[in-house]
Amino acid sequence: MFKDNDGNSIMKFLKRELKPKAKLLTPFNLISIPIILLGLGLIVIRFWKGLGAITNLTQEVPWGLWIGFDVVTGVAFAGGAYVVTFMVYILNMKEYRPIVRVTVLNGFLAYAFYTGALLLDLGRPWNVVNPIIGNNFGTSSVLFLVAWHFLLYMLAELIEFSPAIAEWLGAKRATKILSGMTIGAVIFGITLSSLHQSGLGALYLMAKDKIHPLWYSEFIPVLFLVSSVFAGLSMVIFEGSISHKVFYDQMSEKNIKSQDGIIHGLAKICSVAMFAYFFLQFLVFLHDRNWEYLNTPMGYWFLVEMIGFVFTPMLLFFYSYRLNNIFLIRLAAVLTMIGVILNRLNVTVIGFRWDAATHYIPSWMEIVVTLAVIFTEIWIFRWVVRRMPVLRESPVWAKHDHD
Amino acid sequence: MDGFTYNNIFETKGIEYVAIVVFFAILIPFWIVLNRQVKATKQLQKKLGILTAKALRIPQGIFFNKDHTWAHMDKAGLARVGMDDFILHLIGNVTVKRMKKPGDAIQKGDFLAEIEHEGISLKIYSPISGEIIDNNQQLIENPELLNDDPYMKGWMYKIKPSRWIAETSSFYLAEEASNWSAKEIERFKDFLAASVERYTEDPSLLVLQDGGELIDHPLSELPPEVWQDFQHSFLGNKSKYPHFRGLGKQEYGPEYF
Repeated sequence: MFKDNDGNSIMKFLKRELKPKAKLLTPFNLISIPIILLGLGLIVIRFWKGLGAITNLTQEVPWGLWIGFDVVTGVAFAGGAYVVTFMVYILNMKEYRPIVRVTVLNGFLAYAFYTGALLLDLGRPWNVVNPIIGNNFGTSSVLFLVAWHFLLYMLAELIEFSPAIAEWLGAKRATKILSGMTIGAVIFGITLSSLHQSGLGALYLMAKDKIHPLWYSEFIPVLFLVSSVFAGLSMVIFEGSISHKVFYDQMSEKNIKSQDGIIHGLAKICSVAMFAYFFLQFLVFLHDRNWEYLNTPMGYWFLVEMIGFVFTPMLLFFYSYRLNNIFLIRLAAVLTMIGVILNRLNVTVIGFRWDAATHYIPSWMEIVVTLAVIFTEIWIFRWVVRRMPVLRESPVWAKHDHD
Repeated sequence: MDGFTYNNIFETKGIEYVAIVVFFAILIPFWIVLNRQVKATKQLQKKLGILTAKALRIPQGIFFNKDHTWAHMDKAGLARVGMDDFILHLIGNVTVKRMKKPGDAIQKGDFLAEIEHEGISLKIYSPISGEIIDNNQQLIENPELLNDDPYMKGWMYKIKPSRWIAETSSFYLAEEASNWSAKEIERFKDFLAASVERYTEDPSLLVLQDGGELIDHPLSELPPEVWQDFQHSFLGNKSKYPHFRGLGKQEYGPEYF
C-alpha cells in the first residue's frame, strides 16, 4: 500500500534502513558503547536504589551535574535552532538554509534527551506529567512554564523536521502538508524559545542566598537568553565542522561549498551578540556593585570566565571575521562554548552553595550517565543523518520553488 | 529645595547610565570596523598593475564554474558561455583558435575552444551540457573582444542547455564567486611557487611569499611545462569528471566515526 522513493514496499524499506550503514567498530563506537551500556546500568540502579546511590546530591545541594549541565547547558546549546530558523524564515537570510535541517534536528534531539536527563534527577519522576494533565498544575512555579514549553517546543521542532522524515519515507502528500506547517511551527518555536531560555535562568531567581553574588542577579533570565544566541550558534559552527568531516559523503555539493560562507556569517553574529552580552554582564556588575568580590578566589574565577571565555572569544570572532579565517572562527566557537558551560555551571553548580561546608562534586557515576546521554544522542543523530535528507538534497519531487 | 544637592553616582544609578552611554559609544565604531570593506587599496593596486582578487571583474549575476568558465542564461532560455577574467589576467592577451560549430552536441567537460598566447595554447572545457546554437566567430578575427570584455562581447557560445539546473547547482554566483576568485588567486600563488621551483633553475623567479603580490600576467614569462600544469590544475581536462562523487582529501573520513 505504501511505497518508498524507489517504489519498493515500505516494510522492506524500513527493514533495510535499520541495518547499520557503516563499519561497526570505529574508534568512536568503541569508546561510546561501553559508556552507554554502563550508563544504562547506572540508570537502572538509580531508579532501584534512589538518587543517593549513584550521585553526590544532598539536601543542601539537591541540583547537581545532571540539571546544571545536561538540562541548563544543553538547552543553551540547543538555542541554535531558534536563532537559525529565525534568520532563515523570518529575516529571509537564504544563505543559511543549508544548515536549517541539521540544526533543527540537533535542537529536537537535545531537548528530547535533556528532558529525559531531567527525569533522572526528579525525586518522583512519575509526577512529571502533573503540570500537563492538571493533577495540581503547580502554576506558581517556574517549572510549570518549563514543563509546558519543553513539551510544546519539542512538538514544534518535530513538525519543523517532519518534512525530512516524510521525504525519507517517500510520502509525497505528507511532505506537502508538513512543509506548509513549517512557518507556523517556526514562529511558535521562536516565541517559546525566548521564554524558556530565560525561564531556565528564572529557576534560580529564588535561590538568592544560595548563589554567589557575582553570579546571582535579578537579570539571570535576560543573561541566559542573550547568551543562548551565541551559545547555539557556536554549537552550530562546532558541530558543522565535525559533520563536514565525518558526514562528507552525505553532504550535497551545494552544502559543502556554502559551509565556509555560513561559518563566516555566523562569526559576525556571534561577535555582536557577545559584545552586547559582555556589556550586559558589566552593567549587572555595576548595578549590584560587585567589585568588592573581585579580590577573592571566586572573584578571580569570575574574571577568568568573563575575560578569558567571553571577552577573548568575542574579540577572536571579530578578528577572524575580518580576516575570513575559518580556523580562528572555529577556535573562537570552542572558546565560546567553554565560556557558556562555565557560566551555566557557575550559576547552577559551582557558585551554588559555594560556601557549604562540604562542596558538591559530581560522582564519577553522574559523569558516566551524563556522557551516556550525550553519546546516545549522537548515535541517534548519526542514524538520522545517514538515512534522511538532512545534509544532502531532498529528493527531486520534493524540491520547492524557493529552493 | 534651595541649597539642596545630592551627588552620588551610585545611588542615583548614574554610573549605569554612564555605562550604557559608553556602550553605545563603543558599539558604533565596533559595528563600522566590523563591516568595513577595503576600497582604497583596490584602486591603488590596480594602478600599480598588481593582480589581486579585487582587481578581477566578477559580475554578480553570472554563474562561474570551477574551471574558470562562466555561463549565463538569457530570457529565451539560451545560455551564453565563455571564459573568465582570471585567465586573461594571468596570461595576457590571447587569440582564439579552433572553435566548435553550431549544431554540435556538447557535454559538460567537453573541449570547447583553444586559446593561444605567443605560441603556447590552453584548452577551455565546457561548463554545461547541451546543443551549440551559435558560436561567436568574431572572436577569431577580433580577439580584443574577448580580452577587453570576456563577459559580454567576448561570449564564446550560445548553448541550449540540457541539464541546466543539475549542472549549475555547483557553480559560484555573486558573493560566493567573489570569495572563490580570491581563494583562486591564493591557490595560484601556491601553484606558481611549486611549479616554478620544479621547472626553472632561476631562483629569482621565486619571489612570492606570503603577502607577496602577483604582477599582472605572471604566466606569460614562464616555460610551457608550467602552462601544462596550469591547464590541469585550473582549467580542467576531460578526465576530471568521474561519475561518482569523490570523497576529496579528508584526513578522518566516515570510516573513523
